[in-house]
Amino acid sequence: MRKVFVSLFVAILSLMLLLTGCGGGTTTPTATPTTTPTIPPPPVEKIVIGLQAPITGDFSAEGQWAKQCVEVAQDLINKAGGVLGKQIEIVVVDDGSNAKDSATAAQKMISQGLKEVIASYGSSVTRPAADLYDKNKVVSVGYGCTAVSLTMETQRPYFFRTAGRDDTQSEFFAKFAVEKLGAKKIAIMHDNQDYGKGVADDAKKFLQPSIDAGTTEIVYFDAITKGQSDYSAAITKLKEIAPDLWFFTAYYNEAALLIKQAREMGFDVTFVGNNSVPTPDFEKVAGDAIKGTYMLNEPMPQFLTFPESKTFMDAYKAKYNELPGSIWAVYAADALNALCAAIKTAGTTDPDKVAATMRTMTDAKGITGPLMFTDRGDRKNIPYYAYLYNNDGKLELFWPK
Amino acid sequence: MDTLIQQLINGLTIGSFYALVALGYSMVYGVMKLINFAHGDLFTLGSYIGYTVLVVGASWVTATFGIWGGMAIALVAAMIGIGVAGLVMERIAYRPVYKAGRLPLVVSALGMSFVISQGIMAIWGPNPQAYLSGWTPKDFLQFGNIRVPVLQIAILVLALGLMALIYWLVERTTFGAAIRAAAQDRDTATLMGINFNLIIFFVFALGPALGGMAGVMQGLKYTRISFNMGWLYGLKAFTATILGGIGNIPGAMIGGLLLGVMEALFEGYVSGAWKDVFIFLILILVLIWRPTGLFGEKTAEKV
Repeated sequence: MRKVFVSLFVAILSLMLLLTGCGGGTTTPTATPTTTPTIPPPPVEKIVIGLQAPITGDFSAEGQWAKQCVEVAQDLINKAGGVLGKQIEIVVVDDGSNAKDSATAAQKMISQGLKEVIASYGSSVTRPAADLYDKNKVVSVGYGCTAVSLTMETQRPYFFRTAGRDDTQSEFFAKFAVEKLGAKKIAIMHDNQDYGKGVADDAKKFLQPSIDAGTTEIVYFDAITKGQSDYSAAITKLKEIAPDLWFFTAYYNEAALLIKQAREMGFDVTFVGNNSVPTPDFEKVAGDAIKGTYMLNEPMPQFLTFPESKTFMDAYKAKYNELPGSIWAVYAADALNALCAAIKTAGTTDPDKVAATMRTMTDAKGITGPLMFTDRGDRKNIPYYAYLYNNDGKLELFWPK
Repeated sequence: MDTLIQQLINGLTIGSFYALVALGYSMVYGVMKLINFAHGDLFTLGSYIGYTVLVVGASWVTATFGIWGGMAIALVAAMIGIGVAGLVMERIAYRPVYKAGRLPLVVSALGMSFVISQGIMAIWGPNPQAYLSGWTPKDFLQFGNIRVPVLQIAILVLALGLMALIYWLVERTTFGAAIRAAAQDRDTATLMGINFNLIIFFVFALGPALGGMAGVMQGLKYTRISFNMGWLYGLKAFTATILGGIGNIPGAMIGGLLLGVMEALFEGYVSGAWKDVFIFLILILVLIWRPTGLFGEKTAEKV
């Protein structure tokens, strides 16, 4: 009897696990990269730049926005006289939102003899392409890839990115929490997954100086289980610890339930969510509980304040009648701006010279701020902002203004 | 002390959801010797039915019957809807293969699980839906430092009341005796004049109906519902069933409540990250000590 039960139980558990694996999400069929017509060798009067983007697959919305943003930026550059007296031409290749097709897309760009490309969205998608471009001495600029390892694990002399790095957010958080909010007792909660735990660990690291100085302490550092509905046990524990500030580093689903249940239990602590929290779904589930919560994000398209951003957003609105759907697409446009600025300064499209210029240029202005890069190819001084859900439940810029 | 009481309330609430779902597992297992894998998905379906009643009726249901009336209508709709769904499921997925042995039954149950969860996705879409905040009462009771929403108390009372009702029905009535007899020995029970088909009908209507009501309660309490949430509740409820002793009605209730309280206490006093590891460790220890679960030995009590 005992054996039967134990083996039955094990069998059922494994089946349940299988179910989890299968039921986890919807599969979007990944289309093969759309074929782009083979273009003749670039004519002298044109500078051809590639755009590798997820036009199909899971991230297709991001891919479409990136394409639209790059085209608007291209129009603006060409109308202003182009670069080195030549017009810019964009070749779009689809990477299907996955790593396998990303390599194929990169091969296609390389075989067409392109020297500069914009690529791509998603860290794991970008990685194989960045390797290929690097090996073939093609300058590539990523726009939607934030994993720290992309630039810090291996040095790729020809790889850059206009998006920030995950640890930049953690560093900004430490500054925001200590300098702006003056938090003394900080609680950090993550979800034990790569992205969330990474941001949480880094936040702890950047808080260390204040901890050593004795002005701040981390009173809670723990994970919740992703996918649950009831987080009241974790909230009760947190409520007893009574932190000044609660930093949550994971996705919007759990964030919405946590903040809703916390407010129901009368727990009024200051809540800070990281850059994947402020979404329409978060607002819908959390309802009124979002009011007064802070969100950290790279500048959202509606909040960009540089003169270049205004020009760009006006042009984009005139063409598509709305703002770009995400900041990552705007970074794709800035990838084009960075490449054009470097080509202009270097006076050539030679990849070695362009890559060297990218590292040293200081005067390039982008839609999202100055375009400067470190030796490892990361964007310098990526702006980070804290946003506040006001009493109408709308996001407003909070700090720095 | 306040914290301990708060954690116990938290644990009992989540535990009562587990217990309601576990009852369905246990009743079906007792009579059919079948692990009904689709049970967690019926729970999800119940919460979508409640959602639809409130969303389609929108202002009408809540405006006409008040907030409490609206919630009651959603609960009754889910109870009836899922009761019928359970009967339909038994007829199309289990009865045709019942004589073929236990393995085909289990495969058929897995198939039903996929059919239901994918069906929900096809109808209501892959994105999570939310029970809107206007559908539920906002009041709460304050005891010192402890704040408990009235809704949570109502849910807890309703869940415990349903469990007491089932307990009474199965353990104290003649019909309950018939169910227990059928669970013990189908052939002898039939010879004694018990209508086995009626027993199956009852078990497959009532077990899922309880799960469906739990689904609505979960939506009211936690707002967010998604087409694939059933597996987690299914897994937890199944664990509770095993813990209490499968096929045993009081075992399923106690197992569910115990599981909820243990989770809350471990998360509250040790670590949230290791909660599931701890729960399954306890389960393994219990199974080594009592392989048939905490209440599983008295086979005469099996349903």
